[in-house]
Amino acid sequence: MSGDPRVVRALVGCYPPQWRHRYGEEYAQLLHDMQVHRRPRLVVDSLLGAARARGALMSERSPLALPVWSAALFTAAGIGFAKLAEDFPGIAATAHTVMVIASAVALLALAVAAAPAAVVLFRGRADGAWKYVAVPVAAAALWYGVVRIAVATAAGHAVHSGPNVAAFAMIVAAGLGVLAATAWAATRVLQRVPVAGPGRLRPVTVTAMAAGMVGATIAVLVWGLRVRLADAAAFDGDQGLMATSFVSSWIAVLIALCAASVLSGVAARRHLTASWRPRLPGA
Amino acid sequence: MGEELGRWAEPGLLVLTSLAEGPKHGYAITMDIAEQAGVTLGPGTLYAALQRLEERGLVEGLPADGRRRPYRLTAAGAAELAGQAQRMRRLATLSLDRLQVRPA
Repeated sequence: MSGDPRVVRALVGCYPPQWRHRYGEEYAQLLHDMQVHRRPRLVVDSLLGAARARGALMSERSPLALPVWSAALFTAAGIGFAKLAEDFPGIAATAHTVMVIASAVALLALAVAAAPAAVVLFRGRADGAWKYVAVPVAAAALWYGVVRIAVATAAGHAVHSGPNVAAFAMIVAAGLGVLAATAWAATRVLQRVPVAGPGRLRPVTVTAMAAGMVGATIAVLVWGLRVRLADAAAFDGDQGLMATSFVSSWIAVLIALCAASVLSGVAARRHLTASWRPRLPGA
Repeated sequence: MGEELGRWAEPGLLVLTSLAEGPKHGYAITMDIAEQAGVTLGPGTLYAALQRLEERGLVEGLPADGRRRPYRLTAAGAAELAGQAQRMRRLATLSLDRLQVRPA
């Protein structure tokens, strides 16, 4: 390809690496044969083809990207709920238990959906994917360092004091960063895994994940209402996250859970639609 | 003529039709389609169609001749093209009947 005109090399270079590896040489020859450097319309067509190839690569190679990101959001909300609920032991125990079980169902379903990809990864058939596995480990180590600094900063200060709240906010922000980095790394790994698993597995597991998230959201809604009935003073007090009011923390957790449920519901709908859609010829 | 073909000028179908004659590389496919159907497929459009057809097992690449790789229709591709052609023929017949136009 090094002997091709610059415009040919540039046009081929617009395609993603995997595509170039498969079609690059023959495509360069076609551009050469069509004298693309004299025909601006064909240059535009090639650029549009490259954009489509990149778009197709992103959408086709990461069907679990949306479930993964919704799981990250769900996990963040779940940790928020756990932190919120630790001050109310024994209240609305049934709703709390339902929340834990529904969360386990949701995350287990995602694990099952991703299991075929994990098998491929461990068998060493996903080139370049292992480096992304190190991302959550490195992020967690970084988070631990942030926690140590935050604890040292907050030492000797009152619970609702500025330094203590700032330290807690730092820990939360770093924790969200760990979740985001983990979700990003997971989607990168899934993009590089060449197999998809049994045809009906993903729609079923992604739907189960969405159902689990919806169940957890309803359980947290019920739990908050039960807290209001059992301890109205605490409900109206400031026992929420980062010394905020309980109500605002509870609503924030609910909003995050609702958003995760909606995202996973959209993902489930896409997978179910795709699994029932008949294959069309190349269009 | 490309405009006259309307939706039947869909790239995948044109590529399948071209390869029904025998294996061809990319440039030969574009020349054949331009000559027979009056449609000029751009390089990006052609390879997007070829990639999708190959992923669906409707065409397959043969060993490259220099840098030119010929493609040929698979059995599944031939069946798909036959099915599409039958549907188009039924629709054409129906349309002509209803318009009371005799085929030329």
